[in-house]
Amino acid sequence: MFGLVKGLGLTLKNMVKPRVTYKYPHEPLEMPNRFRGIQYFIPELCIVCNQCVRICPTDCITLTGKKSDDPNVKGKVIDTYEINFEICILCDLCTEVCPTEAVVMTNHYELATYSRDDLYKDMEWLSQNNTLVRKENTLHPLPKKTGAKKA
Amino acid sequence: MLRTEEMLLNVGPQHPSTHGVLRIVVKIDGEVIREATPVIGYLHRGTEKLAEDLNYTQIIPYTDRMDYVSAMSNNYVLVHAVETMLKLEIPERAEYLRVITLELNRIASHLVWMGTYLLDIGALSPFLYAFQDREKILDLFNELCGARLTYNYMRVGGVKWDAPNGWLQKVEQFITMMEKRMKDYHQLITGNEIFIQRTRGVGVYSQEMAIQYALSGANLRVTGLQRDLRKEHPYSIYDRFQFDVPVGRHGDLYDKYLCRMNEVEESLKIVGQALASFPEKGRVLGKVPRVLRVPEGECYVSIESPRGELGCYLVSKGKDKPWRLKFRRPSFCNLQILPVLLRGENMANLVAILGGIDIVLGEVDC
Repeated sequence: MFGLVKGLGLTLKNMVKPRVTYKYPHEPLEMPNRFRGIQYFIPELCIVCNQCVRICPTDCITLTGKKSDDPNVKGKVIDTYEINFEICILCDLCTEVCPTEAVVMTNHYELATYSRDDLYKDMEWLSQNNTLVRKENTLHPLPKKTGAKKA
Repeated sequence: MLRTEEMLLNVGPQHPSTHGVLRIVVKIDGEVIREATPVIGYLHRGTEKLAEDLNYTQIIPYTDRMDYVSAMSNNYVLVHAVETMLKLEIPERAEYLRVITLELNRIASHLVWMGTYLLDIGALSPFLYAFQDREKILDLFNELCGARLTYNYMRVGGVKWDAPNGWLQKVEQFITMMEKRMKDYHQLITGNEIFIQRTRGVGVYSQEMAIQYALSGANLRVTGLQRDLRKEHPYSIYDRFQFDVPVGRHGDLYDKYLCRMNEVEESLKIVGQALASFPEKGRVLGKVPRVLRVPEGECYVSIESPRGELGCYLVSKGKDKPWRLKFRRPSFCNLQILPVLLRGENMANLVAILGGIDIVLGEVDC
């Protein structure tokens, strides 16, 4: 019987302790800076190198590029960019390989919806998802100037 | 004379006490189990086959989803296999971060086991305490690598992130807190007469039997055999730390509980030592080629995951993708003993014995 009473002692001790639960979803739950949430896409920075498409383990990114209207700009510019959040696992690899940090993680994580079609996020939606963007980003330090000027 | 007949009972695949989607078809005679057949495969995703089409970095997030209660060890075993094949040198700081995260994950995993196990056999409050403490570890991981369960933290040649400012201090605070909490757990559970009566002498097997069934981890050590891969052939930097390998004596469920709780204490010791000798500076990712082409050949590496011997067998044909990848999942191997343990047992002991093995269905089905 002694073991039982001893255990109950702990329960009683805990009764006066403060609550540990969160009030989510009534109050938003803040995530640390490194949190891997829904991506933010910056079309101006994208150089259509296709690296994010190639590294994606679930093949959830599709993109197309086009020739720039400005004759002074070399190379392609982004035309469409879509992420399918039905299969995206938010693994962070796309942001890791992006040489210009055109795709970065944010702290947003709420993706629940009533329709599957809502989970296809296009370039417009992704480029407007620009709050709570992660500050420190890639594994490798950024090249001095953004954009592919090497060629 | 009352006429009785055998009955077939389907436990699962959706059953709260199977911790996932395990189905057990039991043939019962009254309350006594005559035969039990586990049916697996409800969570099979073909990770090993998928991996053949992915390069080594892409496989890492898939390993997160095998044993999702301790994803760090899955991450580690894959990168460890690739690193062994490539003969890579890992920076000191990365090795320390790996050991700290692996051990913290072991603590989290054992806490989940302890909480849910007691919940299975009818005690609610330990579950709440255990998850409260586990949450602290998950918060630490969330801060370190941006996810609570699917870490995707290890990389071939090191780790993805360095520890953020103040993270190591937080780990240190957690260790001190957890050492105190362990006393609370012992006060709450270890001496509890109901728990002892429920688990003492239940689900017993001998050491020979454990070896024959290739059990590993706490399931093997509970029979008194001191086998821990961290001691036996130390990987990473485990040879630098002082820790004991807790063993049981009776091979029953109560010893499994004690074994795992003592393992948590040993893990706390390891993390404490790792923090004390943590290198001040240094890279967290070594020099790795941009495209990882593993030389032709094969290798098998194994580590001590919270559930037992987690192995990774890698065959490469010199490409940037594995030709064949095979994981030796401890949950799957340990589950094989279940039909034997259940035969002749009381139906009420099914959940207790199954819980004692500590399986994670993501790993069983892979």
